[in-house]
Amino acid sequence: MNGTAKRIRNWLEVRVGLDELIRSNLTDYRVPSNINLFHTLGAVAVVGYLIQVITGICLLIYYIPHADHAFRSVQEIMTRVPYGWLFRQMHVVGSNLLIAAVFVHMVTIFLMGNYKRPRELTWISGGLLMVITLCFGFSGYLLPWTQLSYWATTVATSIPTAFPVVGDFVSRLLRGGSSVTGITLTRFFAVHVSLLPPLFVFLMVVHIALIRRIGLSATPFGRSDEEKRPLTEFRKKLHPDGYPYYPYLLQKQALMGILYFVVMFLVISFAPTFFFPEEATVPADAFKTPESIRPEWYFLAPYQMLKIIPNKFLGISLQIILLAVFIFWPFLDTHKEKNIFKRPVLRGVFIAIMIAMVILMWWGRR
Amino acid sequence: MRRRTFLQSLLAVFGAVSVASFAYPLLRFLAPPSDANRDRKFTLAKKDIPIGTSRVVLVNDKPVIVINEQGKGYIALSSVCTHLGCLVGYEAAKNILVCPCHGGTYDLEGNVLSGPPPRPLSKVPLKVESEQLVIG
Ligand code: HEM
Ligand code: FES
Repeated sequence: MNGTAKRIRNWLEVRVGLDELIRSNLTDYRVPSNINLFHTLGAVAVVGYLIQVITGICLLIYYIPHADHAFRSVQEIMTRVPYGWLFRQMHVVGSNLLIAAVFVHMVTIFLMGNYKRPRELTWISGGLLMVITLCFGFSGYLLPWTQLSYWATTVATSIPTAFPVVGDFVSRLLRGGSSVTGITLTRFFAVHVSLLPPLFVFLMVVHIALIRRIGLSATPFGRSDEEKRPLTEFRKKLHPDGYPYYPYLLQKQALMGILYFVVMFLVISFAPTFFFPEEATVPADAFKTPESIRPEWYFLAPYQMLKIIPNKFLGISLQIILLAVFIFWPFLDTHKEKNIFKRPVLRGVFIAIMIAMVILMWWGRR
Repeated sequence: MRRRTFLQSLLAVFGAVSVASFAYPLLRFLAPPSDANRDRKFTLAKKDIPIGTSRVVLVNDKPVIVINEQGKGYIALSSVCTHLGCLVGYEAAKNILVCPCHGGTYDLEGNVLSGPPPRPLSKVPLKVESEQLVIG
């Protein structure tokens, strides 16, 4: 290192404490030695979220949140603005990939039993992050003001009306009136760009701070990783026999982050219309409902479930209960065994839920 | 009462009052304006709807389908499907209204014939004058 660089480094060291930061966060921070690739998925979600933030800010520069201009401004981003297509594609494909990544992250955490005590709050903050991610998808869907976005939003914002008393109010609150109009567009825009991002960042900070404080859990396969002592006092999981976070896990995470980009650009290059069915290229028309309206793939399963339950009120209540079970799962499953292969009932339930979801999605697509 | 406790209670009261006094304005700010007492009529020239066709118009911001039924004349119904809010369309060949979203069907009185809609379409008053229709 030459003299100037050394001086800058030293200047920082005195004021920020670089060495200490590097030591406590990278080299002395130990992760379990049997860590696997699935432990990188949380970091992949962080990368995916950053991509959404950056590309979203790019889109904001040209997008106009007004019913008369939204569609045209998006078309101009796609055709006139230099590389506008790139940032829009990254934002659209990225939103779908992010939801997929968060979902897989959650499933693997579930399979490894890593939500168990003392990590209940880590799971809950994660579950809320998943809900916020879905809200991002829902509110962003309306913004291009296409036939698809207009009518999918009309259908979705009608769903609360099945609730007696408050239902109509909730639906009107979401829409800002009795039907989806320009007022709805500005509401959704405000939620999408100014309400959800700080909420997301807050929950992400909580999520990661908890993980850092408690220490990563090891994979329960091949060795036991249960907390056997009664949890009356805090003890950090230190993994004295583990590896330092840098380079072992950080490099794995970086590699998976790059893989995320690879998948994203494979879709953008070879299937650029994958997330743009025909109705997504026609401007919204409040006087004409197109033939095939269906929600994004990640809402297909709940949507189909609502359709097949004849009583709408029952259907929605059931979904709210399922959501609550999902968020508060660590308090319902207090069995100490983390390895799902040693829990035949739970494993059976898990497989049944996955199959049901796939069937509902496939059914809802048609 | 100790000075400390007094200050604490004072703070709690003022805090609660400030929060509460913003809660109501915020709720009102977010809630949409009521459109209950609007009743502007909509007029439409008869010749705009030939026999066996229909048209969707906005009456007081609500979509209404006006149908000119062969042999029976003009009918106006809310075109918002009572299931999940898609707009129904007129199928002249079968003389029914069909919802494109989940296939609900209605007769021209607004009654549900099949599919998921839970309630009939509401009727909208319609007056036929010499050259035009007055809806609403
Ligand atoms: C966009 C949303 C999310 C982000 C950015 C995120 C981020 C992370 C990160 C960086 C880690 C540490 C490394 C790892 O094990 O992967 C982690 C772990 C964890 N995540 Fe998430 N996560 C998200 C969503 C979720 C969801 C939806 C759940 C479950 C409902 C969840 C539950 C957990 C749990 C319990 C851990 C602890 C794992 C352990 O200690 O071994 N996370 N998350
Ligand atoms: S919205 Fe008309 S049948 Fe569902």
